[in-house]
Amino acid sequence: MHPTLTVLLYSTLAAGMAGLGVLPLLRRERVPGAWIGWAYALASGGMLGAAYLLSAVNSGSPVAMATGASLGVLFILFTHRATRASLVDRHRPDRYEPGDGYRSALIDTLHSASEGVAIGVAMALDLRLGIFLAMVMGVHNIPEATVLGAIVRDWPTRLGTVTGLVLAVNIAQVLLAVATFAVLGAAPAALVWLQGYAVGALLTLVLVELLPDAYRGAGATSIALVASVALSLVVLFGGAIR
Amino acid sequence: MTYHPALIVFVLGLATALATGLGALPFAFTRSVSPRIVAWSGALAAGLMLGASFGLLQQGVHHGAWQTIVGANLGVAFILATRYVIGDHEVTFGRQTGETAKQMLLIVVVMTVHSFAEGVAIGASFGGGRELALVITTAIAVHNIPEGIAISAVLRPRGTSVLGCAGWSVFSSLPQPLMAVPAYLFVETVKPALPYGIGFAAGAMVFMVLLELLPEAYEEAPGPATGAITALALIAMVLFQQYL
Repeated sequence: MHPTLTVLLYSTLAAGMAGLGVLPLLRRERVPGAWIGWAYALASGGMLGAAYLLSAVNSGSPVAMATGASLGVLFILFTHRATRASLVDRHRPDRYEPGDGYRSALIDTLHSASEGVAIGVAMALDLRLGIFLAMVMGVHNIPEATVLGAIVRDWPTRLGTVTGLVLAVNIAQVLLAVATFAVLGAAPAALVWLQGYAVGALLTLVLVELLPDAYRGAGATSIALVASVALSLVVLFGGAIR
Repeated sequence: MTYHPALIVFVLGLATALATGLGALPFAFTRSVSPRIVAWSGALAAGLMLGASFGLLQQGVHHGAWQTIVGANLGVAFILATRYVIGDHEVTFGRQTGETAKQMLLIVVVMTVHSFAEGVAIGASFGGGRELALVITTAIAVHNIPEGIAISAVLRPRGTSVLGCAGWSVFSSLPQPLMAVPAYLFVETVKPALPYGIGFAAGAMVFMVLLELLPEAYEEAPGPATGAITALALIAMVLFQQYL
């Protein structure tokens, strides 16, 4: 299979896995705050693992890597501020407001764009690593979609529409994965910059958005356990690949 | 003149413990430090610890992925067990809450127990080569300074002298040199134990960051700066290890 098609296939699969996140909403109208905490802890552990795998590959100048990583950190801080992400009280389903749905959809779309860059970079470093990372992102998309679905469902919205929305916000993941892979094919010198960007963006997503929300939803012990187990699984299977 | 490696491990472990005493320095100029500064120091320490753990995991996986992960889970179990033993107490920084004496004792006990895992990290990392060991030792030494600040932030407003704060801070890290030597001798003598030891240290440090350092930092200083400091420290640590 042509490498670009591989990127398209696996990033689409990762984005499609977000649809599974709607399943818990079949049985209950509202998701408990603790579930949201654990969902974000699972997503955080997976994402930390993805950043670990990407940062473990030494592909060039440390200055370029550091600059790229700083840009990644700055981009996420900028989007965090621009979308006023801290206004969404995700762990309190009883306090959802109609505007929270739009805001969360926008935030998740911006998240998935950076995640798409990470998939594209990983594919350019090593296709097997890229496929694994796409699957990690896919698993991470599931709890993220559950949280978005829970917020949107509260409007109330039909389950079919909710599923369509959680899939739509992840389209950016597919587009950016393919675009990044194509750019790196044409300009391999950009690899270390984009690798740095992906590491910086993923880490900042976890540390500025996902983990603080996770701790607000459930106790620190359970959050730490869920995130550690997710991280160790990614390290284990990622290590087996590399 | 050559020194026995175990002596070098002990001296470096002792140096990391002494670094904790530097945390008392700001209190020579002020009696209390704002909770936000303590929180950001904690966030910086969290990033350094996570970065050091990434380096340990990479080294451990090189020797055996499964063994490293088994070791990491043992590290998590160790921290859970110590938390069970010392109880699930909240320690607030720089604020007069709860019973003063109990709180002063508690912060020293909590930090001392934490140091056991860090001592194992220093010892096990020496089994993985001197470069890795120097990086991990440096990370733990730098991370000890905010721990010293945290201890002093509790002790100083309650009347302990600056020298006393420094002394208690160093005391809390004494398990580091004491645990580093047996951990080093163990992974050197029983070579197959190396990935388990490295994994144990990494698992314990990651879990400690997720269980205590980060939640406390987020609580005292909510807002994106806390997470950004951790992310930048983590990235700096990873790059430092890769390109040293």
